[in-house]
Amino acid sequence: MATQEKVDVAIVGAGPSGSIFADVLARAGKKVVILEFGPDWDYTKFVSSEIWSKRLKHAPRFQLAGKNNPGHGSNAGWGTGGAMIHFFANWPRLHPDDFRVKSKYGKGLDWPISYDELSPYYDRIAEDVGISGDAAAERRWYPIAKDYPMPPLKTFRNGSIFLDAFKAHGIPLAPMPVAINSTEYKGRPACTNCGWCHAGCAIGAHGTPLVSHLRDARQRGAEVRPFSYVTRVLTNASGDRVTGVEYYDGKREQHVQPAATVVLAAFSVEIPRILLNSATDKHPKGLSNRNGLVGKYLMCHSNAGVWALFDEDVQNHMGTAANQFMSYEHYDNKRRSKNGFGSIFLRTGSALKPNVGIAGSRPDLFGQPLAEYMKRAVRGLTRVSFSGEQMPIPENRVELSGDKDEFGMPIPRVIHGYDQDAIGSWQQGREDAYAIVRAAKPREVWGAGAPGTSHLLGGTIMGTDASNSVTNSYGQTHELANLYLAGGGLFPTEGAVNPTNTLMAVSLRGAEHMAKNFGAIAS
Amino acid sequence: METIERRTFVRGAAVGALAFTVGGVETLLLPSEARAQKVPLKVLTADEARRLETIGEALVPGAREAGIAHFVDQQCSVPPHEALLSIRIANVRPPFVNFYRAALNEIDRQCNARHAKPFAGLSADEQRTFIATMRVGKHPDWKGPPAQQAVYGHLRSNAVDVVYGTMEGAERLGVPYMALVAPTARW
Repeated sequence: MATQEKVDVAIVGAGPSGSIFADVLARAGKKVVILEFGPDWDYTKFVSSEIWSKRLKHAPRFQLAGKNNPGHGSNAGWGTGGAMIHFFANWPRLHPDDFRVKSKYGKGLDWPISYDELSPYYDRIAEDVGISGDAAAERRWYPIAKDYPMPPLKTFRNGSIFLDAFKAHGIPLAPMPVAINSTEYKGRPACTNCGWCHAGCAIGAHGTPLVSHLRDARQRGAEVRPFSYVTRVLTNASGDRVTGVEYYDGKREQHVQPAATVVLAAFSVEIPRILLNSATDKHPKGLSNRNGLVGKYLMCHSNAGVWALFDEDVQNHMGTAANQFMSYEHYDNKRRSKNGFGSIFLRTGSALKPNVGIAGSRPDLFGQPLAEYMKRAVRGLTRVSFSGEQMPIPENRVELSGDKDEFGMPIPRVIHGYDQDAIGSWQQGREDAYAIVRAAKPREVWGAGAPGTSHLLGGTIMGTDASNSVTNSYGQTHELANLYLAGGGLFPTEGAVNPTNTLMAVSLRGAEHMAKNFGAIAS
Repeated sequence: METIERRTFVRGAAVGALAFTVGGVETLLLPSEARAQKVPLKVLTADEARRLETIGEALVPGAREAGIAHFVDQQCSVPPHEALLSIRIANVRPPFVNFYRAALNEIDRQCNARHAKPFAGLSADEQRTFIATMRVGKHPDWKGPPAQQAVYGHLRSNAVDVVYGTMEGAERLGVPYMALVAPTARW
């Protein structure tokens, strides 16, 4: 086992959260190392192909249990940039009510921070990443202090075909804010509307960490070590400070990376896995887990779409993987569904590519009916999508199984299922989307029969103190002052919207807290 | 609204090209080209390749000629974390060829039990009925893993990828591919 030179900050994971911590701490003059499990991508070589794009995604080896297994491989990334290298780039924010669900409704949990506290970080992240949108159109639903840096993206018939139907149902729309350049921005070109966002944007119009925080962190001296597989966070003899991490490199050689502080930014399953696997005599249940909450309150969004096949050519090969339009109408009434609880988020208009997007829209078809469908659908297929909120319940969780991987690390067991609140909310969203789609009078209409599982969140939630959470509002663990967690795992509730904007805003706030207090917390 | 003439294609770039070894030299070929040139298989046996082609063709017309067997074979031969197979991101443990072997064997075991002949020997109607039953997980004595719905989903995904996931596939559908980057070297 080789011991590396001690650094100020060891960050596990080079996705959006880890990249922000790296950027902020490197700016503060700290020596930063980022240990990334996957490769170090060159975005200019991303291939426009849904075949090739599978390589950008995480290859999980989890045990799955529960009624609704999370689609981890599609949600997580593999390599620098994390999931953002293949994400759709939708950039909505949580609604102010999402931060006080317990207080307002007596269900779920509250965040330890308010929308108003996070709002300035949303604005700053928008500037850093480069967001296109129309803040004025969103202000009907929540306050936004600053306008977005760029105007909205172009729209296409695959979205605008539903505009009259939304209007007829009294549902106002706003342009979806997206992490895609509508104009040249900070030296990066405008989007060409090729629709290959989810395969990685080779021109850098997609606002991933590879063209923002991670690039900037490297320019300030942060070191990225790809193919580094972290198995444990190490602690001192008294168990009151972390001292670094243990990892295997690409040649399967084991290393210790000593560090004054450690940041775990490795997604919602791997963070609990590492914490639980780091148990010592001083932390017999794993790090920051005296209360038994590490791994608890895992959440997904019940994403689904109602598909519409028109005779008209809706040009579904064009645009972006991101949606063109969104609506928070009724979002702030979490009791709106008849048999459920939670917000619903509606959106429409996105590009579809043949093999995953279009063939995937009718998974029941095979043989000649599939061949005939493909010819029609490449011209006339589009959809209205929605996502439903799931309340945090401790039964949805990550734990360690008895099986081990090739490095001797326990394989995580991921247990997830929707309760009646989530199912009822999803049914309401489906009903809403069906009504809108039917009003647009397509030739054929159909929808998913079961809720999807997108955006794995929770598992290491933030809260006011150690009685209700793993970390404080900055992601600093309650038990170890120099151990921070980052990413969507911190969310106590998830709202119903795509999480990347919020997890980056939370990460920026946490990273600046660490930088400001570094002298007091470093070991 | 921006419009693009639908018959405008970027021709010649082989999105979907993979590294095959021909005459001892690694070269980039589409799976269909590898099949046409009879590039030797690396992992699958000739019999397994034929069986995979048969069910692939029944799932997605054109999959045989598009090279589903060479695609799966080549992808089972690369390091698992580099594989472009749908099972890579679906919690299937490598080596991935085990998934295909188990699937093909169970399909033929099922067909032999019911029809006294393998899947390839069934009529087109019998094949359709078999696949439709597999899709909904209703073969009563299916012995997995893999589960029958997973076999349906992943074999269909492989077949769809080779038939519709290439630039040539998009051209056959009459849809512009709009590639920013087509592969000119192996990743």
